[in-house]
Amino acid sequence: MSAGPRADRPRHSAWPALRWARRVTQGVALALFTYLLFAAVQSRHAAPGGNVFLRFDPLASFVTMLSSRTWLPGLALAVVTLIVTLVAGRVWCGWICPLGTIVGTVRFKGARRQASRLPPRLRLTKYVLLVALVAMAACGVMTLMVLDPIGLLTRTATTAFIPGLDYIVTGLESAMQRVGALQGIVNALEAHLRGPVLPVVQPHYAQAVFLGLLLALLLAANALADRFWCRHLCPLGALLGLLSKVSLLRPVVGASCDSCGRCAGACRLGAIASAGAGDERSTQVVSSECTVCLDCLVACPGEPGMSFALGLRPGPWQAYDPGRRDFLVAAAAGLGGVALLGAGVWNLRRDPRLIRPPGVTDEGNFLARCLRCGECLKVCPTSGLQPSLGQAGLTGLWTPVLTPRLGYCLYDCRACGPACPSGAIPSLALAVKQKQVIGTATIDRNRCLPWARGVPCSVCQEVCPLPHKAVTLTDGVMIKNGQGGTNWMTRPVVLAERCIGCGTCEYQCPLEGVAAIRVERPSGIAPGAVAAG
Amino acid sequence: MKPLSRAEFLRMMGAASLGAGALAAQGALEPDGAFGAGPAEQAEPAADALGGALPYLTVAHGKNVAAITRKAIAGLGGMSRFVKPGQTVVIKPNICTARAPQYAATTNPTVVAALVSLCLAAKARSVHVMDYPINTSPAGAYQGSGIAAAVAGAGGKMVTMSPTGWATYKIPHGRWLHSWQFYREAIAADVLIDVPIVKQHGSSVLTIGGKNLMGLIENRGGLHADLSQGIADIASLLRPDLTVVDAVRILTSNGPTGGSLADVRIKNIVLASHDIVAADAYAATRVYGLKKAASVPYIASMAKMGLGRIDLTKVKIAHFNL
Repeated sequence: MSAGPRADRPRHSAWPALRWARRVTQGVALALFTYLLFAAVQSRHAAPGGNVFLRFDPLASFVTMLSSRTWLPGLALAVVTLIVTLVAGRVWCGWICPLGTIVGTVRFKGARRQASRLPPRLRLTKYVLLVALVAMAACGVMTLMVLDPIGLLTRTATTAFIPGLDYIVTGLESAMQRVGALQGIVNALEAHLRGPVLPVVQPHYAQAVFLGLLLALLLAANALADRFWCRHLCPLGALLGLLSKVSLLRPVVGASCDSCGRCAGACRLGAIASAGAGDERSTQVVSSECTVCLDCLVACPGEPGMSFALGLRPGPWQAYDPGRRDFLVAAAAGLGGVALLGAGVWNLRRDPRLIRPPGVTDEGNFLARCLRCGECLKVCPTSGLQPSLGQAGLTGLWTPVLTPRLGYCLYDCRACGPACPSGAIPSLALAVKQKQVIGTATIDRNRCLPWARGVPCSVCQEVCPLPHKAVTLTDGVMIKNGQGGTNWMTRPVVLAERCIGCGTCEYQCPLEGVAAIRVERPSGIAPGAVAAG
Repeated sequence: MKPLSRAEFLRMMGAASLGAGALAAQGALEPDGAFGAGPAEQAEPAADALGGALPYLTVAHGKNVAAITRKAIAGLGGMSRFVKPGQTVVIKPNICTARAPQYAATTNPTVVAALVSLCLAAKARSVHVMDYPINTSPAGAYQGSGIAAAVAGAGGKMVTMSPTGWATYKIPHGRWLHSWQFYREAIAADVLIDVPIVKQHGSSVLTIGGKNLMGLIENRGGLHADLSQGIADIASLLRPDLTVVDAVRILTSNGPTGGSLADVRIKNIVLASHDIVAADAYAATRVYGLKKAASVPYIASMAKMGLGRIDLTKVKIAHFNL
């Protein structure tokens, strides 16, 4: 690589300014994503446009439409992203995608050298994942949508980042509270942050560590190559990459190119193929791998240098691009996945703890429509909605499941429906939502304090939010309390026909560990039936 | 020497520490008696320390909720008897859930707002209103009950109880509980006003002033093994300076969260006393209609601990009809 004398020549170019525009856009998009995250924290309302990133995400949109065989007008904005991509390439990846920005920011020394050792065919992975994902979705199986970058980031931020941040901040504040002079600061911080920014109740997620580590692993993979996720794995990047093969505008190498290699040196995606110095035709930008970050245009010392120009012929096919055979194999793998998932036991017997958000009636339709995007987890004010691990089988991995012992479904909340970008969770009027049966509580009389041990307790009855309580108390009886005395005591009983399965009772049951009152899938009636109370 | 009330004790501590002022007073009440004195030094409860010629308990009846609230307080000698200029006030209504006022599940917002106004008129430095709901989020309950809007309109401040705001305190007079986690601000405030609404309640028969204090403690489930003594023990530390019972509407079934208008009875009463036991006893018997106040176990337990008078035949009650 020769630096060349032209490197020192003063340059009058718009590229550095445009690169700054790209950086600012990335910052704004990430800030917006973060704002929407915090705006939703236990706010009980989906912020207006809270799922805006998904609405522009063509993978989320069109694959869900394919899977559910439904036209989803709320997701049609993704057409804009498709058009932009057809005009100017993977602008979404380089300018907008918040996961792309985070992945692009974490860099390691030596990553470039490592990347040169990686087999180029590794880039094929993302196309295989995309094709398998689409093939599965065509059969109504959305399992691989867990790989959508927006969903991935939303899920991880909700279950790991915000709870972790809250834990740290609360811990620091509690420590400061013990120092008299700092109490005022803590009180002021709490008055302003608690509620609007920080959750009122520390959220807990069963998979916080696991999901947090998965993202950490993804970032650590950058040690092998810059933007490892974007290069090798992202199925949305693959979709936009295929479109970018025919995008109108692409970075084009100028006539003055002497293959100095600076552009390739600047490219974080390794999207510039350079066979060797001296052969100018060997330097080419692979538009399907390019995220339009403009780094190469800034780096080019040529006069005229690289330009962002009209390219009418499809970009050259690379060795790692998917061939017809790859397409077929990937599609076959997707169908194989569908077959295997279809044989899972969860299709025969539902897990009794598979409690879906209110309004979900048909499990099959729900699974075909749910994006696994985490928007409902993000707005659930109690963190009761958790990404499922086993309850819905592998098919329903990371779909929302109400886990009452960790958080209940608030009687006066309907936030998850409006937050759902695909309508998998219907948006219900509050009065309708309040009668949706999502489960039924049962009391374990072998554990319940008054039934099993003669200890007075009626917490489940007290907290039942229904106007005509679904947990009632038996008439009071005098019972021996085991210490030689007697207690006047009532015992709780569930009136199943009234119960909607919100789980407030299970959450508040004062027993350690497993509650004595537990909500399970409604037995004998379909979820979504209307309660008698 | 006249036994000290909690507020007076705090005032003395504040004065004694001069420059350190308020901070020292808070320090005195630091968890686990870090400072030797603190609540442990609180004198034996004496419900009639104040009073004299004034009525012990006031009962105001009428359809104008703000007016009867003001009248009940005026009858006790006015808010300036309880709130001195520059003092901090915590008002604890019952905001257990998110229901509109007509369901009688939460304290009437007009009662709370009237009290906020009276405290501010008495030149309170700050008036903070707080509760911790049992089956919804604080924001939802604050708004849904109408209390947030009413308090803001009156110039008070709704406080979302913070996870960092709890501390363990010794309960020197506790018979069953000898220490528990309380909300620090409620303990440290110069004046604590307990503003319950009268409701049927599964395990405690009726929830009134004593039960309402449970919103200021953590780990409420832990009290259920002996709810009545637990409530009496925490009341012995919290010792509200004033109890104002909202019986404009009362809830007779499906309490404490309600939701059905068929369970609501209109009473149009606000009653007040510096004595939480007398206020609860009056509400339980002469408003709700129980034969004996002692059939609400925690009222009996509070009386046994000497936190106030359960026998209403011996106290001076003033009635006002507006």
